[in-house]
Amino acid sequence: MKIHEFLGKKFLKEYGIKVPAAYLIKEEKEIEFKFLPAVLKSQVLVGSRMKAGGVLFAHTREEFIVKAQDLLFKEIKGENPYGVLVEEMIPFEKEHYISLVLDREEKDIIILYSQNGGIDIEENKNSIIKTNFENYEKILPEKIQKIIPNLRKLFREKDLTLLEINPLVEGINGEIYALDSVMHLDDNAIFRQEWAKEFVEEKYPFHFVKLDGDIGIIGCGAGIVMATMDAVKLEGGEPADFLDLGGGAEKNTTIEALNLLKQYGINRIILNIFGGITKCDEIAQGLVEFIGENPEMQLYVRLTGTNEEEAKKILKESNIGYYDDMYSMISDAVRMVRIND
Amino acid sequence: MINGNERVCVQGITGKYGKLHTEKMLKYGTKILCGVSKNKNIKNINGIEVLNNMNDAIEKYNVDTSIVFVPAPFAKEAVFEAINAGVKKIIIITEHIPQQDMLDIYKISKDNGVTIIGPNCPGVILPGVSKIGIMPENAFKPGDIAVISRSGTLMYEISNYLSKYSTGIKVGIGLGGDPIIGTSIAEAFDYIIEEDIKKVVVIGEVGGNEEIKGIEYALKKGYNGDIKVFFAGRTAPKGKRMGHAGAIIEGLEGSIEYKEMKLKDLGVNVIRQIPNLA
Repeated sequence: MKIHEFLGKKFLKEYGIKVPAAYLIKEEKEIEFKFLPAVLKSQVLVGSRMKAGGVLFAHTREEFIVKAQDLLFKEIKGENPYGVLVEEMIPFEKEHYISLVLDREEKDIIILYSQNGGIDIEENKNSIIKTNFENYEKILPEKIQKIIPNLRKLFREKDLTLLEINPLVEGINGEIYALDSVMHLDDNAIFRQEWAKEFVEEKYPFHFVKLDGDIGIIGCGAGIVMATMDAVKLEGGEPADFLDLGGGAEKNTTIEALNLLKQYGINRIILNIFGGITKCDEIAQGLVEFIGENPEMQLYVRLTGTNEEEAKKILKESNIGYYDDMYSMISDAVRMVRIND
Repeated sequence: MINGNERVCVQGITGKYGKLHTEKMLKYGTKILCGVSKNKNIKNINGIEVLNNMNDAIEKYNVDTSIVFVPAPFAKEAVFEAINAGVKKIIIITEHIPQQDMLDIYKISKDNGVTIIGPNCPGVILPGVSKIGIMPENAFKPGDIAVISRSGTLMYEISNYLSKYSTGIKVGIGLGGDPIIGTSIAEAFDYIIEEDIKKVVVIGEVGGNEEIKGIEYALKKGYNGDIKVFFAGRTAPKGKRMGHAGAIIEGLEGSIEYKEMKLKDLGVNVIRQIPNLA
């Protein structure tokens, strides 16, 4: 889960990293200025926010009010802001880049550093050096080294998977300041990070990603759902979604998943179930109930694994056809889409 | 990995899945000797004694392996308990374990010479002999192919195909789909080489570089068996998380096109449709 900058900055401050003086405006009535000049930053969880017009500068009171109102209601790359963070402007001489990342190959937290920080870091990727906690003292400039133990502590204690500061600047007073930060919280650790619970979005009881195609896909297990999507694509079809019911899905979860796809205007759905923990008869019951209420929907069903026989009996009694093989199901579904188009 | 002679303890045996799969593993022939649970009210599950901690499990039953069903918030503590007690193989079925807990588990397991498989994995099966895991056993007919997988359900799907239309499964190793896992594909190959298994199917997915590193390692070690590779997530959009914590593309590396290209350089072909694996 991505963490808003204002919270990230609050954490940095708590862990002894200098950040500009700041406050958050969440509603129009809260618009007031405390210092000038000021930097106004839209609190959206998108990349390249500055290039998208999400960061503005105000030198006068009038400018401040106009710009704060603008940012408070402006969508940035399709996202409505959580609020506007107002920060004191820090004059600086040099921009650095630093990040701590949980690296799956090293199976460790690693440090990435560049002496060329700033908004063009994407174009300066070659200047980024990689190091770890055993070796950073040999590699990083002395002033940067000093903040590493604090960053590490923050990274560990807040269960982050990414902590990026860009730019990390040397102010004209010689002090190091974090001017912007990006943090990702490990979704699996939300249970022990009380502060994060407020930001967790209402979720479906399954994992769903909307895609652009026209063939709905439901399965259980991320791997099999992805493999089903791939096979649809290889056959020349376009998946409309990724929907993983997860292990142990029951009748109502199945109905809710089918209804969600229907809401998106999808009327052809592939349901590919290999039941391990999931019981096929539970899925079949959901299917029967859904089809009863939505006879116009075209479903391509393959159920195998746990309680397969019971499931097939349920489907037969309701005259719902099924496949034994996922590839014949997929090829039929894709062919029918083409014929109907 | 496993040889079928493991003396197994089930950690979290009194939970819904712990209980269910203890029963299934016992039926399959796995030597489940005891369970451990923090629920002090239950002393027995399917005739298997439930103990309070791993030290007792070792003292009383001399177990050498544990399978973990303990819920994610308590999983790290449970694994540490097993390692400290002296267990040498730990298979973690639990999903949603925080990544930093896995870092700690990984470090301590390496320091103590403990093999960790998982987390968020289906476990390991020797078809016809033993299973320390949760896989539906009828998808695994005994044979001569090793299946190494980062995905649970896809391992079932593919093993089922291979069982029906090919020579069957010698061993199924589910490594798990999380970003930080205990046993890597390379380490799974160590076992394949040691056991002299001549056919391997590697089931990988979008994200990371595990598959290439693992296969590169095996080839360097002189493995000359038949390697077939299947990837899931070819059509996964960039930057979106597709269920598995690990399955996300964050650049060219980790995309299936990239992995396919790398494997081609190594002389290993990627099979795009499951039936073509058989």
